[in-house]
Amino acid sequence: MSNMLKKSNSLLWLLDPVQSTAESAEDAYRFSGSARSWMLPAGIGAAALIMTLVSWVTDPPRFYISYLIGWTFCLSLTVGGLFFVIIQHLTKAYWSVVIRRISEALIWSFPLLAVLSIPILLGMHDLYHWTHLELYDPSSEAFDPILAGKQSYLNTPFFLARFAAYFLIWSYMAHRLYTLSIRQDVDPDPSIPAQQRKVSAWGLAVTAVTTSFASFDILMSLDPHWFSTIFGVYFFAGSFLSIMAFTVLIALTLRRKGMLKDAITLEHYQDLGKFMFGFIVFWAYIAFSQYMIIWYANIPEETMFYRHRFEHGWGLYSAVLLIGHFVIPFFALISRPAKRTLSVLGFMSVWVLCIHWFDFFWIAMPTQAEHAGFHLVDFTAFIGLFGILVAAVMYRLSRHSLVPNNDPQLSESLHFTNT
Amino acid sequence: MLQKLISEIKVTMGIFECDVDNTYAILAEFADPGALYHAALDVREEGYRKFDTYSPFPIHGMDGAMGLGNSKIGFFTLGGGFMGLALGTWLQWWTGAIDYPINISGKPYFAIEPSIPVMFELTILFAALATVAGMLVMNGLPRPYNPLFYSKNFQRATDDGFFLAVAANDGKFSLKATESFLKSVGATHIEVIKDHGSAE
Repeated sequence: MSNMLKKSNSLLWLLDPVQSTAESAEDAYRFSGSARSWMLPAGIGAAALIMTLVSWVTDPPRFYISYLIGWTFCLSLTVGGLFFVIIQHLTKAYWSVVIRRISEALIWSFPLLAVLSIPILLGMHDLYHWTHLELYDPSSEAFDPILAGKQSYLNTPFFLARFAAYFLIWSYMAHRLYTLSIRQDVDPDPSIPAQQRKVSAWGLAVTAVTTSFASFDILMSLDPHWFSTIFGVYFFAGSFLSIMAFTVLIALTLRRKGMLKDAITLEHYQDLGKFMFGFIVFWAYIAFSQYMIIWYANIPEETMFYRHRFEHGWGLYSAVLLIGHFVIPFFALISRPAKRTLSVLGFMSVWVLCIHWFDFFWIAMPTQAEHAGFHLVDFTAFIGLFGILVAAVMYRLSRHSLVPNNDPQLSESLHFTNT
Repeated sequence: MLQKLISEIKVTMGIFECDVDNTYAILAEFADPGALYHAALDVREEGYRKFDTYSPFPIHGMDGAMGLGNSKIGFFTLGGGFMGLALGTWLQWWTGAIDYPINISGKPYFAIEPSIPVMFELTILFAALATVAGMLVMNGLPRPYNPLFYSKNFQRATDDGFFLAVAANDGKFSLKATESFLKSVGATHIEVIKDHGSAE
């Protein structure tokens, strides 16, 4: 690491691995908001999280699953950020340089998410049916030959090892991409873009594989009899969609406080809107592919996933998912003026983030709850974890330049227009 | 009334009518795409409405300079899409449930789930075909007979010539004034095109 960039002390390292470089940022790109911009989401998040933790005592099974849903939402968003940064480097995209810092600030959330995953690991016995050892004992009444066949993959030590490996790999890539970009702000070393591309090149393959397996482990194994090979792509579609919505919202927040007004223009918002629209369709395409293939094959261990989601009140939730995750955003974002009207784009970004959370709720909750319904703790866990995540992102943004200064493509990005 | 409407529609396709003495248009040549672009701006500003430009390749911003506005092609696409959707739905239902019902592992003869790919693909296919067809119609293509072809020079519009034609039946058209105006905006070569209905 360059000697111009100083390491944070070990306590702050979790939030930001390098010391603030805000003083050396250009005036136009310096964070001019107050500490409130990260203390407010932190406060809301902490309050909601404390409410959530109360239910750990009163209703542990519901707490674990609600917490898992909120946490997976944050994880998918951060994974989406990692994909986004990697793809921008690999394609040498110039339009996105001015908005890249938002994703870069997001991806250093992996270590924080690893810490926040402790309640999930503690609740594995409640969450994951396959952790019950009697399933694998042939003399037991609960013996399950199907799960016994999967035991070599679905067992607690291997799960924990994979879980640790995902976070180590993601954190390493995030650290490289984040610190390289921050270093570029203060040190115009011309070799930095090539280094970023190098990390991205192997990073893309590794992120694709780890994301796919992480989605199998964390979400799909909630229903250990069921499997769908397209599930990793489904997870990816949602995460890339949510990072677009998240970028729009953070950019709009900065804009309201008078930051990056001239840097992130309508042209960039329109492109984010196009990406959002594209991934709404992509999500629907993947979700439908999964559904149609299972419908066609009509094999009991596959169809039970959907069957359960059509019964006991879950049918309504499935309909809401279809309409809210595809039909409404599709028509809302299809036109060019909609993508260029910031209030519409902002509203749809909130919509997309909420329905993305609902997507995880729809996947995870029916495995634990026989009957459909929301619980207060579902929302507090979501708001709590997301609030903490936003606070961490705003905190990192406040400590550095808001755009990658010295990026050779920055001026092209500033003058980008749609044709 | 109908004839007037048809002639108006033809103008949007770049097809003009001759005036009384068979004059079709004044064809002006320009040196480069930039000159043609600025000439189009000037011609429009001067008040001409029936004119068209010809170049070997698309010139960025020319539609704006000519005041063409947004293309209506999207309506062709939308109509084609709906037609394809209707056809796909009907095809799946009629072949599966009416004309040749076969019981395949107890599945319904017609169900929406496996029909969606067919409905989707036909929507896209018809939307794409309608877009191409609509593009041809709205451009008045194919157009094997165009009085401008009488000009030898005009052949270069497919190679290295940049042309602007002002129609003789434009309200503002007058042989002398239009000619001198086109010269004043930078035309390098001016030609009056007469349509005799046959090559001489």
